[in-house]
Amino acid sequence: MTLGSGGSSVVVPRNFRLLEELERGEKGIGDGTVSYGMDDGDDIYMRSWTGTIIGPHNTVHEGRIYQLKLFCDKDYPEKPPSVRFHSRVNMTCVNHENGVVEPKKFGLLANWQREYTMEDILTQLKKEMAAPHNRKLVQPPEGTYF
Amino acid sequence: MANSNLPRRIIKETQRLLSEPAPGISASPSEDNMRYFNVMILGPTQSPYEGGVFKLELFLPEEYPMAAPKVRFLTKIYHPNIDKLGRICLDILKDKWSPALQIRTVLLSIQALLSAPNPDDPLSENIAKHWKSNEAEAVETAKEWTRLYAIGA
Repeated sequence: MTLGSGGSSVVVPRNFRLLEELERGEKGIGDGTVSYGMDDGDDIYMRSWTGTIIGPHNTVHEGRIYQLKLFCDKDYPEKPPSVRFHSRVNMTCVNHENGVVEPKKFGLLANWQREYTMEDILTQLKKEMAAPHNRKLVQPPEGTYF
Repeated sequence: MANSNLPRRIIKETQRLLSEPAPGISASPSEDNMRYFNVMILGPTQSPYEGGVFKLELFLPEEYPMAAPKVRFLTKIYHPNIDKLGRICLDILKDKWSPALQIRTVLLSIQALLSAPNPDDPLSENIAKHWKSNEAEAVETAKEWTRLYAIGA
């Protein structure tokens, strides 16, 4: 099920791994509450991505559309991408000044494994929005950006 | 380690690629991943890509040879069957793949594709349109891109 894991001895190189993620993103994921795409169709190294999360039901985030920026450097997926919210959001793992998702406060990035994908990051952030410590936090006005 | 379970077939193919390279093609595995090849293809003579050195990357997925290798251009190229990310539209890389084919045959087919662009089965719509509406001009653009991106790089 995990993209790019491919068994214990086969390592999918960065670029082919990102091409897989690109194609999966283009097809559309699950119920569509998380999605992502590449920012610059000319960038052969596929570094900059925009992710979208639709706020989960029964939380203060419900119905909101959050945009994030993900940057996959040359060492991805050995190292996690850098992730920051573009849309303003109030969450315990997000820096209030610049929207950066702080690895120390977000387990998936802190304990990153090569098999993890951008989809995993977005899905986990969506779950995080619904966690008890985030679901009722007062939010900045909708449509504002870091 | 990562390469200890490399199938015999891949080892054989690699040895032959290195000892008897096909004309105008070189392919060598990376040190840390024997399924990942750095590839160079010289632009065929009498094609718009003549004189160019095109870099590609090739990866043998776990299912290989039951599944096709994955290949793409790293050098920018103006060709109706190659898109902006270097992905290649070639039947043997998709539904016409057969385990009887090899890395060598794939690379030779890509080299042949450079000699014979096929705008009727395009991956880049705009380039294909250009090719069909004004082939001479499209060929000039392809030559220009070869000069810009594939020479002396």
